[in-house]
Amino acid sequence: MSSTKAIFKKQLKGSVKNPETLIQFMIYPVMALVMGVMTNIDFEGYYLPQEMIDAMMANMPNLATMMATMFAGMALIPTVAGIIAEDIEKKSLRFLVMAGVKPSAYLIGVGSVIFFVSALTTVAFGFIAGFGGMDFLIFSASMLAGVAASIVLGATIGILTKNQQAATALSMPIALVLGFGPMAAQFNDTAARVLHIFYTQQLNVVADNLNHPYLATTPIWQSFVIMGANILVVGVLFVVVFRRKGMGD
Amino acid sequence: MISASMKNVEKSFGDNKVLKDVTFETREGEIFGMLGPSGAGKTTIINILTKQLSIDSGEVHVSVESHEIGLMLEHDGLFSRLTALDNLIVFEDIYGIPHTRTLEVIERVGLGDAKNTVVDKLSKGMRQRLVLARAVLHKPKVLFLDEPTSALDPMTARGIHQLIRELRERGSTIFLTTHNMEEATHLCDRVVMLHQGKIIEEGPPKEICERYNSVKTVMDLESVFIQLTGGGLK
Repeated sequence: MSSTKAIFKKQLKGSVKNPETLIQFMIYPVMALVMGVMTNIDFEGYYLPQEMIDAMMANMPNLATMMATMFAGMALIPTVAGIIAEDIEKKSLRFLVMAGVKPSAYLIGVGSVIFFVSALTTVAFGFIAGFGGMDFLIFSASMLAGVAASIVLGATIGILTKNQQAATALSMPIALVLGFGPMAAQFNDTAARVLHIFYTQQLNVVADNLNHPYLATTPIWQSFVIMGANILVVGVLFVVVFRRKGMGD
Repeated sequence: MISASMKNVEKSFGDNKVLKDVTFETREGEIFGMLGPSGAGKTTIINILTKQLSIDSGEVHVSVESHEIGLMLEHDGLFSRLTALDNLIVFEDIYGIPHTRTLEVIERVGLGDAKNTVVDKLSKGMRQRLVLARAVLHKPKVLFLDEPTSALDPMTARGIHQLIRELRERGSTIFLTTHNMEEATHLCDRVVMLHQGKIIEEGPPKEICERYNSVKTVMDLESVFIQLTGGGLK
């Protein structure tokens, strides 16, 4: 417990002093908001037709949840991979392991800071999407499951790499597939079927369930089961990789 | 009692054999010096003893758990965005050490005035002192120091030597590598000389020198090393 607390405090202090990391948590909701607000801007006396504004505002939940899925898939994996790769590159992780820090304590310590900040981002997305009551809770729960999976996946990639550059090179293609995949799945049934097993696609499925319940094809509980399985798989992968790299017990 | 030992240890990286039949032991409560030029295998030995490297053959024994070891290695492993004090607080929390001990140690290594400075802005010597503070923070049973005073001014180095002696008096075993012959002579209870992965001489510094003294010459450690290898230590 003391190790987890130590890593948590270290990561919190480090993240606060790292604007490059913090901006990742703000840019996605801000972009969703800006895209929504733009529909109400008076462009030099020219107003968008009211029906177009209504259509775009009606689309805000879709826009916000799409950006939320991209955030969970694209922003977090490279961020976490980069943090851990930095600890490896500077040999800091070696000293932590020598001091008796276990893989689980390290992952929970680093991950919980990212998880906490991501929870704030999730709340922002929930408000932008206009969710209330139970819908807000379901959306938040699905996002936090996705965030958890991305954190563990990012951590695994970070452990596998030797430096931040390699972490970015390895994590970006994976993040792109997971972040943009659900968007492609909206236009392509084959992509939707292939991506069905991935948590980011299930984030989209949950969001679609909330935005258009009458079009739902997959029950929400099933999405949570798939996301839970994703977390389990990446969790096991993390422990295996941590130990194989000689950082375990 | 033996703190750490190696028996007939061999280690290669590819075709390059870096340790050849290395055998030695360090005893509890002694300052044990390892002397040798760059590439002699000193860091490899520390990495093996701290379980960061495996061996090809032979036996390795370390009597303490990894969290009872203090480390000061070539790579400092500091958290560069945190302050000097915050770096120590990370390990204070891990080991469950009172905060007063952390403040005492940071003062002791001469970083009291720089404790709130971000590590990125510390000089090389200050970083080295911070690494030493981290290594001794939890009063380790075995302390591995790789060139502990190489970037320090003489006054600070003297303070560090005093700190190392105090740790020994408290019962810690100190395993240090150094190029500084005077440091080894005055600080170490026993030394081994390492050359091209092989131990070529070992014993208390004074005894080693006496072994090679002649009627005409009074030897020091560096002279002995040169006589044995035909080259200097640096």
